[in-house]
Amino acid sequence: MIDVHVQYFAVLRERAGLSQETVATAAATAAELYDELATRHPFNLPRSMLRVAINDEFADWSRRLGTGDRIVFIPPVAGG
Amino acid sequence: MRAFAFSSEPLDPERHRAALADPASGGYASFEGWVRDHNEGRRVERLEYEAFEALAIKEGERIVADAVARFGVSRAACVHRVGSLGIGDLAVWVGVASAHRGEAFAACRYIIDEVKHRVPIWKKEHYADGDSGWVNCERCAAAAQPHDHEHDHDGAHAPAAHHARSAADPGRDFEHDYSRQVALPEVGTAGQAKLAAAAVLVVGAGGLGVPVLQYLAAAGVGRIGILDGDRVEASNLHRQPLYGIADIGHFKAEVAAGRLATLNCDMRIDAIATHATHGNIDELVADYDVVVECTDNFRAKFLVNDAVVRSGKPAVFASVHQYEGQLQVYRPEPGWPCLRCLWPSAPRDGLVGNCAEAGVLGPVPATLGAMQAMQALKLLLGLGATEAPALVMVDLLTLEMRRLTARRNPACDHDLDVSAETPDAAPLELEFETLAAARASGLELIDIREAWERRFDSPDASIPAHCPLSELVNGRAAFPRDGRYLIVCAHGVRSLSLTEHLRSLGQTEVFSLRGGLAALRA
Repeated sequence: MIDVHVQYFAVLRERAGLSQETVATAAATAAELYDELATRHPFNLPRSMLRVAINDEFADWSRRLGTGDRIVFIPPVAGG
Repeated sequence: MRAFAFSSEPLDPERHRAALADPASGGYASFEGWVRDHNEGRRVERLEYEAFEALAIKEGERIVADAVARFGVSRAACVHRVGSLGIGDLAVWVGVASAHRGEAFAACRYIIDEVKHRVPIWKKEHYADGDSGWVNCERCAAAAQPHDHEHDHDGAHAPAAHHARSAADPGRDFEHDYSRQVALPEVGTAGQAKLAAAAVLVVGAGGLGVPVLQYLAAAGVGRIGILDGDRVEASNLHRQPLYGIADIGHFKAEVAAGRLATLNCDMRIDAIATHATHGNIDELVADYDVVVECTDNFRAKFLVNDAVVRSGKPAVFASVHQYEGQLQVYRPEPGWPCLRCLWPSAPRDGLVGNCAEAGVLGPVPATLGAMQAMQALKLLLGLGATEAPALVMVDLLTLEMRRLTARRNPACDHDLDVSAETPDAAPLELEFETLAAARASGLELIDIREAWERRFDSPDASIPAHCPLSELVNGRAAFPRDGRYLIVCAHGVRSLSLTEHLRSLGQTEVFSLRGGLAALRA
């Protein structure tokens, strides 16, 4: 298990009901982490519509997670 | 006839109309202003108009000439009464002859608005109670050109002083003072000259677009294109304060152009009162140096993305959601990601919420719009060249700003236009003139607006089948499968997204009402 810091934006923040949390996870990749979090929060967006950033850089979903990583899930937004 | 004239005799619209007759014109629009019997709750019995004619005629002629050039109409004229008028008398007449009706209406509207704003004419009202007063000097209240003079609307309003100052008004000879920005070493006179020579296309004149337009015009950008096919709605004003109550129902592009002209008399403004489409976007983008994307829907964002990638133009994108915003600059340089690099599967509108669905406070798009204006100025001035490509996320509740480094996606096609309608497929959108015609089409109408949007529908305009998009997105409702449906929303954006979505799931007999309910005649 590793501890990672997760931040949510826009619809994900609304759905999770919080803007950030520290999570102890067995997920090896960003994709596994999102799927795990989606079982705890009522996320309505498929992963294919989101981007993930790890330590302030856009990353592939297959990127391996390390302890202490700062992970941001970003939905696209369209309002203007 | 003269383009602009005063008359101390009663006006004869027939005679003026005949003077505009022109075999090349297929349309004629006119406006008549009549003396009414009340103003601000007081009974009016008669009134007097006064004008400083030499100055007023010059200004009036300028307005008519502007309208002819701007809207491409054949002929236009305006006549204004002076002297004493009774209730019902014709006070002002505007006529426009043109090949097509659209330009005739627009030019007519422009002329009367500008005349009321700019031409120094004074009206003295005589009230039923024996009192009288000089009123309605719009030039004092909201002039279309910069000026300064005291406000004095009591009986002693002094036309002479007014005229003297008007004559000294900056108007078109006004020399803009950019000293506060020229003082920046990175700007200087060379930078100011770059701005004056630059052309920027602003796509969308809403919450983001308004500050972009205002700051770019104020900074002295030489030419600004305003691309927006929407009209001002009451629900826009809280976050788009460039517009006022009286602008509701008018094209944003045209109202914004009028306002910007009061801010900068050196610049050229292209008011393009239409939506970005596959048919027009490439040609438009080609005509500008930088594109600032300020719309509220993914369709338009990706349309603009694809066009700037194809044409190799830089662009500034932004979007907001409630208290948050995202900002991205695209430079046509190696390593810079486009919108599709970041969002490979173009998101569907309606799934993540726009301002109508999710709600928004005005300063949120205003902040992101101001940031877009700054990025556009940096692109024009050649600043920020060392900046790495990024998606900037701004949260105005926590006041946090986060820069996420982004790279070009090697697998991205950059301008892959997946949203384009292929000619072989059934059209996604259908156009109807009236609700009755839509009902007669044999398709079942389904309203996907939210419940609160339906509250003000008149009984004969109501659509019984209701399936709010939010319920569909949340999975609380399912769209019916067995039937042929016409999906209806307010402006045709959400309905089109849902139609695309349903088609992608294999449901072929679904269509979107183009332009939504707003596009229908009553």
